[in-house]
Amino acid sequence: MARISESKARNGASRRAFLKAGLAGGAMVAAGAAVTRPNPAQAAGDPLITETQDWNRYLGDGVDASPYGSPSQFESHVVRRNVSWLTADPVSSINFTPLHELDGIITPNGVCFERHHAGTAVIDPVEHRLMINGLVETPLVFTMDDLKRFPRENRVYFLECAANSGMEWRGAQLNGCQFTHGMVHCVAYTGVPLKLLLEEAGLKPEGKWLLAEGADASAMTRSIPIEKALDDCMVAFKMNGEALRPEQGYPVRLVVPGWEGNMWVKWLRRLEVGDQPWAQREETSKYTDLHADGTARRHTFVMDVKSVITNPSPQAPVTHGRGQMVLSGIAWSGHGRIKRVDVSLDGGRNWHEARIDGPSLPKALHRFYYDFDWDGSELFLQSRAVDETGQVQPTKDELRAVRGVNSIYHNNGIQTWYVKADGGVENVEVS
Amino acid sequence: MLKYLKAGLLGLAAVAATGSAFAADIVEGEKVFHKCAACHTIGEGAKSRVGPQLNDLFGRRAGTIGGFKYSAAMVAAGEGGVVWDEQTLTQFLVKPRDLVKGTKMAFAGLKKSADIANVIEYLKTFDPEMAATVSGGETGEEAGKEIEVAKAETPAPARPSEPDHEGGLGLGRRATADEISAWDIDVRPDGLGLPPGRGTVAEGEELFSENCAVCHGDFGEAVGRWPVLAGGQGTLADERPVKTIGSYWPYLSTVYDYIRRAMPFGNARSLSDDDVYAITAYLLYLNDVVTEEDFELSSDNFAGVRLPNESNFVEDDRASEPEYAAGKEPCMSDCKPGPVTITMRARILDVTPDANDDDEENAGGGID
Repeated sequence: MARISESKARNGASRRAFLKAGLAGGAMVAAGAAVTRPNPAQAAGDPLITETQDWNRYLGDGVDASPYGSPSQFESHVVRRNVSWLTADPVSSINFTPLHELDGIITPNGVCFERHHAGTAVIDPVEHRLMINGLVETPLVFTMDDLKRFPRENRVYFLECAANSGMEWRGAQLNGCQFTHGMVHCVAYTGVPLKLLLEEAGLKPEGKWLLAEGADASAMTRSIPIEKALDDCMVAFKMNGEALRPEQGYPVRLVVPGWEGNMWVKWLRRLEVGDQPWAQREETSKYTDLHADGTARRHTFVMDVKSVITNPSPQAPVTHGRGQMVLSGIAWSGHGRIKRVDVSLDGGRNWHEARIDGPSLPKALHRFYYDFDWDGSELFLQSRAVDETGQVQPTKDELRAVRGVNSIYHNNGIQTWYVKADGGVENVEVS
Repeated sequence: MLKYLKAGLLGLAAVAATGSAFAADIVEGEKVFHKCAACHTIGEGAKSRVGPQLNDLFGRRAGTIGGFKYSAAMVAAGEGGVVWDEQTLTQFLVKPRDLVKGTKMAFAGLKKSADIANVIEYLKTFDPEMAATVSGGETGEEAGKEIEVAKAETPAPARPSEPDHEGGLGLGRRATADEISAWDIDVRPDGLGLPPGRGTVAEGEELFSENCAVCHGDFGEAVGRWPVLAGGQGTLADERPVKTIGSYWPYLSTVYDYIRRAMPFGNARSLSDDDVYAITAYLLYLNDVVTEEDFELSSDNFAGVRLPNESNFVEDDRASEPEYAAGKEPCMSDCKPGPVTITMRARILDVTPDANDDDEENAGGGID
């Protein structure tokens, strides 16, 4: 702590020096511009201010130019990206949310990461059916119209793929939080509590497990304990106020708050009640966590407490030089709310409590900030989240010590970003 | 689905009033193309994936799509004069390795000459010059639109005017037995859900080479990054474990269930229940769980077959790990001795996309 206040004091002076230098630099740039583009107003200031700009003179598009709006043309770099070598084929693959370009806690629909096992199913909602069968009094079929006659609820939840950060088990690998942590998004869902649908069919007392099945070409299936199904699961048809995007399961998906993304079955078409789990492909050969001794954990449903600094990060270097900096990041836990996030600038030697801003909702992303005065020296940034149950985000080495490096899934270890004096950022691991 | 294909046929027949015989070929060819679609794309926006994209194929010299990594054999074939046309495609599709020995296209070939003729007719619709010779000049996409237009109205489901079940809000309707059996195809480790049927290792070998080997390899060894299905026993504690049906999967029911629901990739639900028994039997054979080629797997003996790794799965006990010990207060200052040093940098591996697009091999880890 003492070290930080010292550096703040020091920076007061150096920051003023820097500002002076910056002004001189700016004058030089302006002088250079004068040679190539004569501009009578520039000596008096920034031509963007002193000259009338096109957008200030000519009319823009009318209201119907874009009936469904898109982000600004200047934001075209804000897109999902994939890592082609990860999977055999883009139809059964994954892409990543551009976390370093986003703020707040809600992920815009168009950049929510995608994970499909047989591509995006295209389903006319009029032709969609949801069946409930198995250990129920009455097996039922619902149309989308039927589903929309049940009482609804609105909830904000994160969805994280169990394999998020899976590439980092063996060590630092990908330069960008989009790639190391981008298999997460956070969305406000509108839908029907799953409990109401199960009550409509009449659960038999021997029903202990639920099988959720998708209508896509992989007919994705996962077994879910009935307690979870009756607790907070939803059958959702809206995300962030609009219909689900096709790649997120249009017209209807399962929401399994705090649990691994693979269980949130998209294009949901069937719910079967049974008395034991089904041991489907995605809960045996995949989404099981192999340990160093050759044994594997199954049914590792909950996503443990986790956080990452999104800015600065390798895709979002520091471009402003020393002085005031906004460090920002996200934190989440499948166990509930985030109670606190700590930030370290020195690779975990000393920690400072970050400021959580915006809604703090259970099983949702939390946005944190740490505003500080950068002295321009190297930084080793880390964030560490603590959730309301007291679970503390572990280090990667703590996880490796228990699980080895072949687990693939559930890597919630602390991430380190190395900020160099020139503002460039790298993914590293440190002592 | 069948309903739409039929409707599609009608639509095409209407469009191609002068040549309905050709139109039927295209629709059949499109079905055949499902087998190709695991690796090849065609139509608007088609890009080379596991195999090269197939637009504008006719008159293309073999092995010449830029950016696709062909086998040396395919490039040599092109240099030796192989140009794709009806004749060379027919030869190739009968048995790819006969025409181009050493091609990396692992597909075994199409047995029925009608399938070959039909799929070639379908491919022509994505070639501007050839399209003129089929169905009145429709391109594949335009033909597809017609199918869309001609799609029959879905009959409204039988809907009771009064609730047909007790309790709840009276929403939805009772599912019929036929509806449930159409969708409820899941199989549990105890055999619950298995359909009646049977299939032998030998039958499975033939089906596997026809339907599965294109991605999984003739012996389950896998092509490219598609899943390895066989081998790997004894590697789970190694630095690079090989997780297969024989080395990792706990239950045989998962194999049957998944093949029946989702395989072959891009043509799900196309195998009969007996076919799935046969392929499952062959996978047991490839994994040395059974050793006789005349071994027959059936609904009767299925639940008795156990996979070797079943006992190595444990329930989630993360909460008992030391890093999650209750009441642990995180350290805030002077938590680690000495100055910080870098022990590993991502840029040494540099497998970040955009930075190194050619990197096909991951340096470590994966998402499975």
